[in-house]
Amino acid sequence: MKYAQLIRLLVNRELTLRYKRSVIGIGWTLLNPMLTSFVLWVVFSFVFASRLPGTQQYAPYLMAGILLNTFFSQGVTQSAESIANNGPVLTKIYVPPQVFPISTALAGLVNFFIGMIPLGIVCLISGQTVAWTMPLVLVVGICLALLTAGIGLTLSILYIRFDDARNIVTVLLMILMYFTPVFYPISILSARLQKIVALNPLTSYLDIFRWAFSNNATVTASDWIYMLATSLISIAIGTSVFKKYWPRTVAML
Amino acid sequence: MPVIEVTNVNVTYRVLMNRTSSMKELFRDFLKRKARVIDYVALKDISFTVDKGEVVAILGRNGAGKSTLLKVLAGVLPPTKGTSKVDGKIAPMIELGAGFHPEMTGAENVLFYSALMGRDIQHVRERTPEIGEWAGVSDHMDFPLRTFSSGMVARLAFATATDEQAEVLLVDEVLSVGDADFRTKSRTRMNSLISSGAAVVLVSHDMSAVRELATRAVWLENGHVKMIGNPEEVVAAYEAN
Repeated sequence: MKYAQLIRLLVNRELTLRYKRSVIGIGWTLLNPMLTSFVLWVVFSFVFASRLPGTQQYAPYLMAGILLNTFFSQGVTQSAESIANNGPVLTKIYVPPQVFPISTALAGLVNFFIGMIPLGIVCLISGQTVAWTMPLVLVVGICLALLTAGIGLTLSILYIRFDDARNIVTVLLMILMYFTPVFYPISILSARLQKIVALNPLTSYLDIFRWAFSNNATVTASDWIYMLATSLISIAIGTSVFKKYWPRTVAML
Repeated sequence: MPVIEVTNVNVTYRVLMNRTSSMKELFRDFLKRKARVIDYVALKDISFTVDKGEVVAILGRNGAGKSTLLKVLAGVLPPTKGTSKVDGKIAPMIELGAGFHPEMTGAENVLFYSALMGRDIQHVRERTPEIGEWAGVSDHMDFPLRTFSSGMVARLAFATATDEQAEVLLVDEVLSVGDADFRTKSRTRMNSLISSGAAVVLVSHDMSAVRELATRAVWLENGHVKMIGNPEEVVAAYEAN
């Protein structure tokens, strides 16, 4: 593919540029989730740690949630913004515009995989072992990248057409985070709330991720089906919406 | 065989009367039936062809549709009606350096800009020192672009854009890059690109440049072709207007 080289450069730029002027550079990719998790761990471990079933540990449980949620919410907002941000290029040079959201989603995927290193460390410290199912995290990551890219592609059109779309999205993402068991065990919720949270596709992604990485959750076949289906549907809708509305939207850039 | 073939191109922008870009206002206006969509015609029935080695200048006032036409030719903006066919590689020299990033080094920007134009990175990587050399910024290639002067950025962008032979050059007021020395140098390079068979579409307000370079001129007014033909005549008529 002609634009594979461009995507590689874009992913590379995305990964290095954010921390270009900082002292430890890309080290922040490792440090950021650890610090966030640490703060939340201090705050919530008293409340939630004892509520986890059996041998599950709170620290890796929490950190897995944070890594996945960061990947999703940053990926969605950044890939949605990528088109508008690259407007000056897109109105002058012919490049398939999809390369920008796709590269952003891929950069998020790489960051997510880098996050496995601190997560592994936290796992070992808290006395858990990394499970033999670990390679399946790859599947979770790829599905999440597809989900993210699909939503990002759709939103990128909205972002250009409506200035206030980004504010709405920020709020929606926050609500979605609270409806995902990122820092609380699902068992603390009432039966009715549990049903609602289980409808959230991200819950399935997160459970599979926790289970695959360190056997820190229980997973059913329907979780897998839900994850695969939502990722494929998302990317299908995203690409077709983008294709349909882009010719009219590019005139607004 | 023309390299560029534009037939009956129309471009209409849909604009909302009292354009709001907020969903709330849009919703409110729709309820009150205040929102009206009007079609703004940016280009009407544009047809022309450009052959190999030809330089076609586009003249016209601000808002006449010159930039829209360049966007259509670059393949960035699909025409609402009609077709625009361009054969071969395009070197878009429209606002040179679109896509440059201030935090990346000169060399990285050269690579990135070339990748955007669909060029082969491996080849560009080998050419980078020479590109820097030609632009006169060799010493700075490993520093972030934000440390470059604006003249240096423009020279580097020009050097990168013209480093490979392209079949089509789309030029928007970039002939006045850099100091006098660099201007002659860039003029020479443009001429050699043209003589080796590139077709050029040139947008310029500099009438002497148009007289000197163009082989044909198109005068756009309010989105349609007012006059097309010999540059001397078109420029004379345009200036008399």
